[in-house]
Amino acid sequence: MADVAVHHTDHADHGDHGGHGHATSTGLSNNKLAMWLFLGSECLLFGGLISTYMLYRGRVGDGPRPHSIYDIPFTSVSSFVLLMSSLTMLLAVSAAQKRDDRGTTLWLTVTGLLGATFVGGQVYEFTAMYNEGLGFTTSLFGSSFYTLTGFHGVHVTVGIIMLMALVGIIKRSKVPGDKAEVVELVGLYWHFVDVVWIIIFTLVYLIPT
Amino acid sequence: MAIIEQPAPASTPEPALPATPTRAYGAFKRPVATTGWKSWVFTVDHKKLGIMYGAMAMFFFIVGGIEAVLIRLQLAAPDGKVLSADVYNQMFTMHATTMVFLFVMPMAAAFANYFVPLQIGARDVAFPRINAFGFWCVLAGGLFINLSWFFGGAADGGWFMYAPNSGPVFSPSTGVDYWAFGLQIAGIASLTGAINMIVTVLNMRAPGMSLMKMPIFTWLTLVVQFLLLFAVPVITVALFLLSFQRSFGATFFDVAAGADPLLWQHLFWIFGHPEVYILILPSFGIISEVLPVFSKKPLFGYPFVVFSGAAIGFVGWGVWAHHMFASGLGPVSVAVFSVATMAIAVPTGVKIVNWTMTIWGGKLNFTAAMHFAVGLIVLFTIGGLSGVTHSVAPSDTQQTDTYYIVAHFHYVLFGGAVFGLFAGFYYWWPKMFGKQLNERLGKANFWFMVIGMNLTFGPMHILGLQGQPRRMYVWTEARAGEGFFNLGFWNLVASIGSLILSVGVLLFLINVWKTARSKEVAPLDPWDARTLEWMTTSPPKEHNFDVIPTVHHLDEFFHRKYAEDPVTHEIKQVATAEDILAEQEANADKHIHMPSPSYWPLLLAFSLPIITLGIIYSIPVAILGAVITLLSMFGWALEPSTAPDSDYDPPASGEGTKELAPLG
Amino acid sequence: MTKSMRKLVASAAGLGTAAFLAGCAKDAPQDTWQPKGSNAQKIDDLQKPVFAIAGVIGLIVIAVVTYVIFRYRDRGQPIPEQTHGKPALEIGMTILPALILTGVGVFTFRTVFDLAKTSDTEMIINVTGQQWWWEYDYPVQEEFGITEPIISSGQLVMPVGTKVLLRETSRDVIHSYWIPALNGKRDAVPGRVHTLRLDADKPGIYAGQCTEFCGLSHANMRMEAVALSKEDFAAWVQNQLKPAATPADGTLAKEGEAVFLNQCVRCHQVNGLLKADGTPAIAAPDENVYSGAAPNLTHLMSRNTFAGATWDLLKKECRDNVWKATPEEFGKKYLAGVSEDCLNQIDLRRWLRNAPEMKPMYADPTKLEPTNGLYRGMPNLGLTEDDIDKLVAYLVTLK
Repeated sequence: MADVAVHHTDHADHGDHGGHGHATSTGLSNNKLAMWLFLGSECLLFGGLISTYMLYRGRVGDGPRPHSIYDIPFTSVSSFVLLMSSLTMLLAVSAAQKRDDRGTTLWLTVTGLLGATFVGGQVYEFTAMYNEGLGFTTSLFGSSFYTLTGFHGVHVTVGIIMLMALVGIIKRSKVPGDKAEVVELVGLYWHFVDVVWIIIFTLVYLIPT
Repeated sequence: MAIIEQPAPASTPEPALPATPTRAYGAFKRPVATTGWKSWVFTVDHKKLGIMYGAMAMFFFIVGGIEAVLIRLQLAAPDGKVLSADVYNQMFTMHATTMVFLFVMPMAAAFANYFVPLQIGARDVAFPRINAFGFWCVLAGGLFINLSWFFGGAADGGWFMYAPNSGPVFSPSTGVDYWAFGLQIAGIASLTGAINMIVTVLNMRAPGMSLMKMPIFTWLTLVVQFLLLFAVPVITVALFLLSFQRSFGATFFDVAAGADPLLWQHLFWIFGHPEVYILILPSFGIISEVLPVFSKKPLFGYPFVVFSGAAIGFVGWGVWAHHMFASGLGPVSVAVFSVATMAIAVPTGVKIVNWTMTIWGGKLNFTAAMHFAVGLIVLFTIGGLSGVTHSVAPSDTQQTDTYYIVAHFHYVLFGGAVFGLFAGFYYWWPKMFGKQLNERLGKANFWFMVIGMNLTFGPMHILGLQGQPRRMYVWTEARAGEGFFNLGFWNLVASIGSLILSVGVLLFLINVWKTARSKEVAPLDPWDARTLEWMTTSPPKEHNFDVIPTVHHLDEFFHRKYAEDPVTHEIKQVATAEDILAEQEANADKHIHMPSPSYWPLLLAFSLPIITLGIIYSIPVAILGAVITLLSMFGWALEPSTAPDSDYDPPASGEGTKELAPLG
Repeated sequence: MTKSMRKLVASAAGLGTAAFLAGCAKDAPQDTWQPKGSNAQKIDDLQKPVFAIAGVIGLIVIAVVTYVIFRYRDRGQPIPEQTHGKPALEIGMTILPALILTGVGVFTFRTVFDLAKTSDTEMIINVTGQQWWWEYDYPVQEEFGITEPIISSGQLVMPVGTKVLLRETSRDVIHSYWIPALNGKRDAVPGRVHTLRLDADKPGIYAGQCTEFCGLSHANMRMEAVALSKEDFAAWVQNQLKPAATPADGTLAKEGEAVFLNQCVRCHQVNGLLKADGTPAIAAPDENVYSGAAPNLTHLMSRNTFAGATWDLLKKECRDNVWKATPEEFGKKYLAGVSEDCLNQIDLRRWLRNAPEMKPMYADPTKLEPTNGLYRGMPNLGLTEDDIDKLVAYLVTLK
């Protein structure tokens, strides 16, 4: 049985599943790896929506053309707001890593408010466009534009809900798992949504048709 | 069950009975039952979920099979009257949809769920509740799609659902809506399952198990998960565009508004081609386990099988337009995709060599599982070769949309994917249920299936090459050619074949039933297997391994049982499975935290069809569904994955409750 | 495996192969391995070697696997050598198929571009797919005697040995034009124009079918390509350019013309048909049919199939006479059209009596809401047997 003894240095451990500080083969925690994978799949989602938009942006039928209906200065400002929210998100993550609950909730709230400002700006923008004759069913341009920016807006909104929920949970000290990591994960998602917006803003608003 | 206290080896093992939870999350207390239907409905255990995936998939296999037999009955004779044109079109749409999305994919998920954690020496997947959520989503989605049969007719645009035929004008019934929404719901399961499985495989392997020491089934499953991760979002987009057109008046596929129908085709096939590799790779993985075990030799060229699997995963993204050779792409695209498709035949073909060389020089034990595995090698080769003939684009413009294509994909899907799954059933049944399926019935199952499938799909090569198109609800004598062996003859043969095939499936179901009733317990290691999942009891304990093994070799289990004499090179058995298991139990871990059951996954999953029903019929219902979704997400997020000790009362006098605690 | 099992397997395999090889229908009208034109020939020249190679490889794999399962079955031998692989073999078996496929790829590339050439086109025919029939529009091409556009349906008539280019589109969903004897298929997509080359070596009639699922009666959407010698084609053109003759007063056909004016002309155009007041009767399918058109019936009896080429206008004996004619005789027989003796009264009458019952379509007047009251297919007109008699007598005059 000598060979058997050689093989048997079996690991007696807690058999936990990689979430609570247990060493993982990649070095990333399960949650973080999962978030990266999810964001990877989201790239394909937005890729499909962006491709559809790029194909259909010139098909306006009788409706308004893209650049006649965009308000670039306005959208630039709301884009800047969203960009700033990524900065405040970073500050929230930093505060969480320093175990500063008050700082964390403060910056998370500011991020959420900035995000809400962005979404509010979009709602205003869409209402204005609708009143100028670009509805969801007006033309292919209309359908693709609202679908693409709408999906993005929904993602931002979901992000805001997560931020606010996180603030609530932290305040009640009910965070499951590693608090700093949860904040970091929400941060990853938030930055992704921001990066997607930069791409959308460039392709949709800035590049001339 | 929160904590399992491992008993000291000396005393008789007694499972810790569940305690009563005192804290409620949401309206109900956390479920804790370990027996009865509740232990299944609220489970997060990958093994139970695997079995549920399997049972559901088998149910849909039968549904899809009945749909197929009805199709064949309609086409058995000219001017068939079994099905009207309308019902026939629904039938072939649902047959394909059911087989692809509700049978093969979930059945592969069943095996992946059950065995990947075991094969890598883990106790469960990374996110058990998400795993449960995935199962309930597929079930919800599958039932949702099939509701359409009862409410105005099923989808009738073909499983590929080309636009503009799928639009509100040309498909006015709600069938396509049920189809699109049902697939969206089921698709969520694929996406979350993929994330779950990738994290599990990358992060939770046993110590010493490097990627190149992973069992091959796990490897190929990993490739599949990456394919799913990136392919599912694309069809998600396509389905959203279709649903927005049908439900909200968007003009995505409205040609009058300037839409390009080819947009749907591109989006669909960018998903659709990786999808076929998603369908076949798990079965490749299964037989790559089965062939070595029953040849008593390792898989020949393990690194090649791994790398060719990964290569398929990459190149598979670059061939989608070979489904569109006749769609009007232009010669440059056609030529490029044609050559790319030939390229992907190479890594696929290499595996045939690997499998053949695995059994070459082996000590072949022809169990039922081995029958199916060897059958796959031959049948997949036939299907793969007809696939190569399609890769020649000019030739494909003759073949596409004819029965020749139907022959091709049924050989690779039935002879390939399904045979692999059946090999998996016979191989892994004793591990999952502690009993072996009857071998004689299993071989009969095999023979009826192989003869049936060749009689059904073999003639389709002839039918297609001789000009019978697909998706025709009826064929006429006038166009069937002359002679005894005309198209009519082969249509009849194919229909008879489908009945023989059905007998084969029936034999399997009888085998399952007989085995369930039998009292005969399977030995611990009935096949003298090679991989880690066999280093457990049958069925495995809830926590899988008493102690997580440290891995030193590929085919770790085999190397613990056998040693090679350095001088004579003879392979001798040095330990039995029982010895190895006993050693595990002797060194068992003391405190094992297993994830706790939960009802949020179920609730969240079933809130989704409420939303989609609402979109079809009544927006307030959709809003209600969305509210339930949101609340479920919150409830889930606030619930710890493992219920903390403080949640539980200590059990009262030895017997714990097995019931869900009362509301409050 | 027992000896009897072995015998069973071997005989089954043998039988199967034999049946497969012998098992082809003679004269399957849409056979893809019987090229009758240069484009189909190019495809055939490329595909036959590929099939042969695939067949050989398939047989080798089956033979090797069969050998292995007999040779290495468990006969009590010790546990075999645990060979992990042989990189040389694996690399070799990767390179070999890659080389074969490279060869195939080179020839494929060439053929793809060959088949896509349009610069040597001699004649253009516009093809429009619609649920569930095909319309052909010949643009003015003086060199072929086509001095005015010709509109017909079902049977695509073309001159032999001429490089014809089809320009395909659709009025509703995606269809696909496929005449296997002459070329592969090409989808007809609404909003787009796709080209397909056809040329026929010899006079004859070549069957085809719509091969992209297009809804309810996809199975009933057929067509034929008819190749005529250059002289015969010129004669066909001349006939097509003529308006329909007016039947003599007092004949049954004249009464049928009245029925036609009353019912059919809402959708179907007959050039030269005059209303009672002497003005031309112009069909208005765009007001009645969702996809906007119905087959032009001016020269219905010059073709020998109808209703999406799904049913024959000729009785069986007459049909065989034309469809199985030798290339030399074919032109004359085809140009003779459908005479009253040869007319397939049964199917034509069934169609006039209740078209949707014969060919599933969306023509129930009570269920036309999704298409704003427009038909997708020919409705049941509720004609009396009397009306049908008259109508048939009239239709027979539309040569």
